[in-house]
Amino acid sequence: MKLLLVSTLSQSARSVYTIAKYIQEGAKLGHEVAVFGEKTSKSPRLPYSLDARSFDYAIFVVYESWDFPDMPYLAQLLDSVPKDRRIIIDCCGRYNDTIRVEHDFNHLERMDGHQGWEWVEGFEAVSTKILQPTLTPLRLGVRSFLWHGFDPRGVAREYTAAQQAAQIWAADGKSYGMVYVGHNWQRWSQVGRLLEGLEPVVREQLGPICLAGCDWDKRPEWAIQQGIKGADLDTELLKRLGVEVRSPIPYDEVTEFISKARFSPVIHRPLFNHLRMVTNRTFSTFCADTIPILMLPEDMIHAVYGPEARTLAIGDDVAGKLSDMMRRPEVYWDAVLKTRAHLTERHSFSQRFKELIAILES
Amino acid sequence: MRILFVMEKRINAGSVQGAADYVRAADVLGHTIALYGCPDPNFPTLRFSSDVDSFDYAVFIIESDLGWMSGLRLPRLLAALPRERRAVLDADGMYNRRIMIDGYDRNHARDESCEKWRTSLQLLASKILQPTPSPLEPDVMPLLFYGYDPASELKADHSPAKRFDVAHVGHNWWRWRELDTKLLPAIERIRSSIGEICFRGLWWDGAPPWAAALGLETAFYADAERLRRLRIRVEAPVPYTEVIAAMSQARVNLMTQRPLFRRLGIITSKYFEVFCADTIPLVMLDPDQAEAVYGPAGRELALDGDVEEKLQQALSHPERYRELVHEVRAHLTTHHCYEKRVQELVAALEAGAP
Repeated sequence: MKLLLVSTLSQSARSVYTIAKYIQEGAKLGHEVAVFGEKTSKSPRLPYSLDARSFDYAIFVVYESWDFPDMPYLAQLLDSVPKDRRIIIDCCGRYNDTIRVEHDFNHLERMDGHQGWEWVEGFEAVSTKILQPTLTPLRLGVRSFLWHGFDPRGVAREYTAAQQAAQIWAADGKSYGMVYVGHNWQRWSQVGRLLEGLEPVVREQLGPICLAGCDWDKRPEWAIQQGIKGADLDTELLKRLGVEVRSPIPYDEVTEFISKARFSPVIHRPLFNHLRMVTNRTFSTFCADTIPILMLPEDMIHAVYGPEARTLAIGDDVAGKLSDMMRRPEVYWDAVLKTRAHLTERHSFSQRFKELIAILES
Repeated sequence: MRILFVMEKRINAGSVQGAADYVRAADVLGHTIALYGCPDPNFPTLRFSSDVDSFDYAVFIIESDLGWMSGLRLPRLLAALPRERRAVLDADGMYNRRIMIDGYDRNHARDESCEKWRTSLQLLASKILQPTPSPLEPDVMPLLFYGYDPASELKADHSPAKRFDVAHVGHNWWRWRELDTKLLPAIERIRSSIGEICFRGLWWDGAPPWAAALGLETAFYADAERLRRLRIRVEAPVPYTEVIAAMSQARVNLMTQRPLFRRLGIITSKYFEVFCADTIPLVMLDPDQAEAVYGPAGRELALDGDVEEKLQQALSHPERYRELVHEVRAHLTTHHCYEKRVQELVAALEAGAP
């Protein structure tokens, strides 16, 4: 089967990691996957095509309105691929009624010029099949398809047992105590809570903390000017904890970078927690040589990661949990390894690809 | 006929006043015109609709940017109305082959951009309309589009107090060269005999920060220091609903046009709005073009040649100029009212392809 993925790619955001994995996995399974667009020598270096007619399906991977192509490409694409051969993967829950969670949202005209009804009507005009990366879509007619997945071959360091993992982890001399790779968009309420909570253990035990991504150094000018919350910061807290702030990490270097830390939190924006949506980091953090700290709703942890992963949930006593993780790493590495096994069995890209083909053919 | 306008909503620029006039005039004639979208309190005089399927035609009103026509917005429109029922009003002549006027104003900086626009508009609609009597491209249909609304004329007894002798209401978009070489030197020579002067609009104090990234610094260039030396005050733009009142605050209003539009004979809404205001419009057009649009009296209001002489005349002999304005208004009411424009639009949509 030939699949054309339609999305705007970035080196360090949205679905670029997942798309790269589908291209790899598709080739292994005998399918051809390309990204809609002009061939380019710029990164990310992936196969591109404008010859939409030669593909069986067009799969729109949508976060923002600009994930749909500009004119004239849009008209050419819609003319070339009939509606029943188009599918939308709605990665931000746009195809819902308007939702506000804390100061997070799925529609905001001030931000992107589109009202809620435009998202719904726009999606329905493009395709009759709309998928969302959640196990529990809210809107009638939306199908659950997690889209993102786990790459067992991408695990930075394999361990045969938790004891071995814990020993190496404890002796490794990692550069960071904790690293979070992701942009500061709708993340601060949770990152702030995490940092405040672990302040008592930072200096003596944890080690340096690093936030890598956009807008961790200051609130962006556009957010200030438009009065939009969601890229907030407490610079005093960051300064007090000596948090290192870095620019975004390219998608193909994220696992390696996170592996430099003893811990890495898995954080979803409030809207995603509300919708129980997954992201690429939900899975890819488990590829890194680190102990993931899960800051997700309990029922979601159980449903996505399996029962063993509950051990990795941070809970309310952040400092207590971190201290325990450092004191008894074997317990937590046991949970990590069992969760990796669960992800390999249920959420590998190979599994995901087959699910996608089944949906397309259904 | 039910016609859906699809356009960028800009409260202080573009074709929004024209759209409001179409909505009103269409109602009079038993047609229905609405803008694609939901009701917006910032645009009180417009009718909105998102019920695309209930319209016979869509008219995309396009200026110099395609970005607002997002890929999310378009599929709904493209699916509901086939290409044969879609038209484009190419308000800025972007469908033309690349044109550059005297190394300054242009429709496209590069051939690739031109090709992208042409392909986009061809895919968008079966008919391309331009607000000029004489389009250069063979597959473009002429349709003046913008018109005059006599009911919007602001009478002297309802007019605001005159704050200025001379005003220019409009943005600095490819205007500077003409002002710099023709208007400002004339003002300089007679500045002591003129009272307050005001330029009202965007970018008279300099280019916006994003202009350089788009290669458009020249389009927005202004010498703010020169304006200051000439005691020309700069004020912020006003919403489209207040343009006529803002123009009416000056005894004389200057109507300028970017060089590209003059070359292409493109008409804008400002051609007509300025004659609704309680003011004496002086239009920086060739006299022939002024006469073609405004009638014989329009020739007298063309600011061509001896600029300072005409400015002084208009300020010192307002009665004579008000007579000319009166004659122009009568001509516009007969030849360019929006009821006539709606009929022309309906005819263009029903006509075969050019």
